[in-house]
Amino acid sequence: MAELCPLSVNLYGKLADPCGRGITVSIPSAGCTAGELRSLLAGHDDDLARLLTSTRVLYCINDQIVAESDRVVPGDEVALFPPVSGG
Amino acid sequence: MSCEATLSPRPIDPVEALRQFSAAAAGAGAVVSFTGLARGMTRDGHRVTALVLESHRSLTLRSMEAIAADAHARFAIAASRVIHREGRIAPGEAIVFVATAAPHRRAAFEAADYLMDRLKSEAVFWKREEGTDGSRWIEPTSGDAADLARWQNAARTDHARN
Repeated sequence: MAELCPLSVNLYGKLADPCGRGITVSIPSAGCTAGELRSLLAGHDDDLARLLTSTRVLYCINDQIVAESDRVVPGDEVALFPPVSGG
Repeated sequence: MSCEATLSPRPIDPVEALRQFSAAAAGAGAVVSFTGLARGMTRDGHRVTALVLESHRSLTLRSMEAIAADAHARFAIAASRVIHREGRIAPGEAIVFVATAAPHRRAAFEAADYLMDRLKSEAVFWKREEGTDGSRWIEPTSGDAADLARWQNAARTDHARN
């Protein structure tokens, strides 16, 4: 079994409604994809799972928007965005 | 060429912002400004107690700067200023201030209009309205999308002409 490491994820906008702004999940120490991280977050809470399924999510890693297939490793600063509202 | 964008956690003073911008733009033939204010009523007629704009520490300002840079690339303007509030905004307070300066009025008007249309739908904010009937997240409306499409259609027309 792969070693797991904690990773803090910041949720923005309506994604923070079910469980708050910050969630810590365990990811493999070798990392995972942004899409796999989304599945881990969905396993955290049913309401969050529904929201993550029904929302077009943007992944922000270390202040850059990345693709679902890009990798997240322990120590990264990770945020998930719902579609922006504009100003 | 001056192109400045600021994210402000404190109330904006649009009169002072325009005074400073106009002083710095001395010699331009035209200065146009726009101030967007937080409304006191929802679309359904309920009273709004506050508008909350959530931002990201780097991507929000970066999105504003990219939109301003596009305005400078597209229109013959000499200077622009964008100030956007973040955080909790009371009804009647300014949400956004935009100003442009150009040798001639048309470019100044169009650039300010363009800046606002892009900011309204593309700037990295998550907006929540708090009111007497509860709290709700706001997403861009079909009207905002139509406003944005005006510029995309215009760009295609410009391209076809060249």
